[in-house]
Amino acid sequence: MLRIWLYFFKSAFINIMNNRLIHLISMGTITISMLLLGSFMLLSVNLNNWIKEWGESISMSVYLKDGIDEKEKREIEKQLLNINGAKIKGFISKEQAMIQLKESLGGQAGLLNGLKENPLPSSFELVFEDMDNFRVDLNNIKRSLEKMEGVDEVQYSEQWVERFKGVIFVFRVAGLIIGGLLCVAVLFIITNTIKLAIYSRKDEIEIYKLVGATDWFVKIPFLIEGAVQGIISGLFAFLILFSAYLIFSTKTVQIFGLPVIDIVFLSNKNAISIILLSLVLGLMGGLIALGRFFKT
Amino acid sequence: MIQIYRLSKSFGTNIALDDIGLRIRKGEFIFITGPSGAGKTTLLRHIFGTEKPTSGQILIDGINLTRIRRHNLDLLRRKIGFIFQDFKLLNNKTVYQNVALALEVTGERQAIIRKKVHQALRSVDLSNKEKAFPLEVSGGEQQRIAIARAIINDPMILIADEPTGNLDPDITKDIMVLFRSINLRGTTVIIATHSKELLRDTGHRVIVLNQGRIVEEIEG
Repeated sequence: MLRIWLYFFKSAFINIMNNRLIHLISMGTITISMLLLGSFMLLSVNLNNWIKEWGESISMSVYLKDGIDEKEKREIEKQLLNINGAKIKGFISKEQAMIQLKESLGGQAGLLNGLKENPLPSSFELVFEDMDNFRVDLNNIKRSLEKMEGVDEVQYSEQWVERFKGVIFVFRVAGLIIGGLLCVAVLFIITNTIKLAIYSRKDEIEIYKLVGATDWFVKIPFLIEGAVQGIISGLFAFLILFSAYLIFSTKTVQIFGLPVIDIVFLSNKNAISIILLSLVLGLMGGLIALGRFFKT
Repeated sequence: MIQIYRLSKSFGTNIALDDIGLRIRKGEFIFITGPSGAGKTTLLRHIFGTEKPTSGQILIDGINLTRIRRHNLDLLRRKIGFIFQDFKLLNNKTVYQNVALALEVTGERQAIIRKKVHQALRSVDLSNKEKAFPLEVSGGEQQRIAIARAIINDPMILIADEPTGNLDPDITKDIMVLFRSINLRGTTVIIATHSKELLRDTGHRVIVLNQGRIVEEIEG
């Protein structure tokens, strides 16, 4: 068994060396494609982090009615904690609300001195986790909170949330389309390289078959060629991506005045998945090319 | 060993073989002859399983080639040596590698392959050419490489299609001596030729084909 596999690998290696120019061009092209895919993944990971942070900055204010007692306040707090995905960022009492208003008015804070009593309501500030997965329906939460005893009004920035959801949607659809197209391109390149290799050795394959080689005996070295192309290209793409990351990670990036992005590299799982995807595409390309050849 | 029943083959409207019936015994040495286009090569290709009949049956050692699975046909081919008119050698491989090919596909150990290749090359008198490439040797030597490759698996059947078509009379004689010695070891030998010279006083059965039909059978 080992002997036959050694033969297959030796045969694949000799074929690669004999057609090294074709293989080099093909590996270069696959490396570029995988690099694009990897860069896109890196962008995706970083944008996801950024979106998460952004999502956490979306808050909801739950204004309480004047004159509610401590017991009612605790009851509301308890119910807020039960909302899936919600976290209480803080409680702002009437007094704190007035201080915050005065601070925001700055020099014109004196305007508020004429007030006989504090008209501002106390409120709970809610933030939400998993905003990037659309698991939180803020409108629904708003409606149910407003029905609660002791709650006066609920406010959140609907415009922000809609924009946020729009960005995520566009980003994910673009990710699927670009990623899918790149995979198809890699598959196409590998299939055609293997097809070229097969056709350049058509006579050899015919002779192998005439002396009693099974289909798999002929196919396996080509599949190894595809896999080798895939894995080497995947490794190269990963190394280039990592080098680029090392160069650029020291710089901070800010887009449209939104929160600063700390660039992170792909997780081990993601890095391995690039190389594995490259390997799988190599094997698939080989299988498609061989399937077509043996059919004819 | 080989039984052929009512074998017919058409390529479009062209009838290549027409109702062929033939039995070849184990260990027999048989010639198939006829003019060009008589169907000799087509008949051999059917026996080797590279051609499927339009109708009829072919049995090799009890195995029906018309119903055989592809994988089993590959395995059966290891028991049949075929020497092609154009030799079908790989010009980018050495003489040794060309002959070793027939054993490598079986997954045989390298030590055994080495031993058997040396034996086969010795039997066709090419021991000194094992490192040469096919295009560096003469036509007769190329023919002997093809023979060495065909006999290396100790086949039960050896088929040769116009094996001496491109060779001069002296080399033809040597090649025929080689076939006879292979036959003496128990291998069934089938040779297709249109050479009258080759058929003279063979002492073997001769099947004469014309326009895809057996028109004469001369017992040896």
